[in-house]
Amino acid sequence: MSHTVDARGLACPQPVILAKKALERHEEVLVIVNDTAARENVKKLASSLGYAFTVEQQDEEARIAITKGETCALAEDIISTTGPVVVAVSSNTMGTGDDTLGGVLMKSFLHTLLDTTPRPDVMIFFNAGVKLTVEGSEVLDDLGALAEAGTKILVCGTCLNFFEIKDRLAAGSVSNMYDIARSMLTAGRLVRI
Amino acid sequence: MTPPRSVLLFESVSAALQAEKILKAVDIAHKIIPVPKHISSDCGVCIRVDEENLDRALQALQGRVVLQDTRQLP
Repeated sequence: MSHTVDARGLACPQPVILAKKALERHEEVLVIVNDTAARENVKKLASSLGYAFTVEQQDEEARIAITKGETCALAEDIISTTGPVVVAVSSNTMGTGDDTLGGVLMKSFLHTLLDTTPRPDVMIFFNAGVKLTVEGSEVLDDLGALAEAGTKILVCGTCLNFFEIKDRLAAGSVSNMYDIARSMLTAGRLVRI
Repeated sequence: MTPPRSVLLFESVSAALQAEKILKAVDIAHKIIPVPKHISSDCGVCIRVDEENLDRALQALQGRVVLQDTRQLP
């Protein structure tokens, strides 16, 4: 028997919350909304959970019938990793303890990224991490190959300026805190090195 | 196409670092990379050199660093 959620007249995100709650307890849920945004959001919810749904539109009113059926167990994983994979590099060494070792580890790490799945969509270099992106850096070939493979490389302009190496930038593009913060906050997965 | 390359394997990270320092000093092109998965070594990093530089690299390291093995990359 289908469970009905009457979300007509409710403000966002109420319809989605109610639908999600109902789906936790019922196999079939019918959600009734009378708002386009609510309809789209409920559809998105169903898709993101991997559930099948049909929509019946009648004037203002939409009836979204969601069936859980067989879902793939990975659904939860997929939801949590929707969005770009972002690697934030805050230092020119990897880890703390010994900087010589840290330098070797960083080189090794960046070289490995090219052959790793998922490859990062975005890489952000800030603080001493920017030293990896300028002339004389030993990882320029790896960063170049990553960029060629589609990884966007953002380099903190303030940091290049602080270390007085802005004119030696050799990988990626100068970026600002707005883009850096946005990239981090919209990441599906953020890896901080 | 990448030129044929080899990796120099060491028994310890510090040996690899020492070798890197020597190769830098004599200006032989090289790169520290993680040891490729199909090769095993006691330490996790190795030094990759182009085949044409291999002899010079080995000569430079001779008697100064203990080399575990040299392997050609596929």
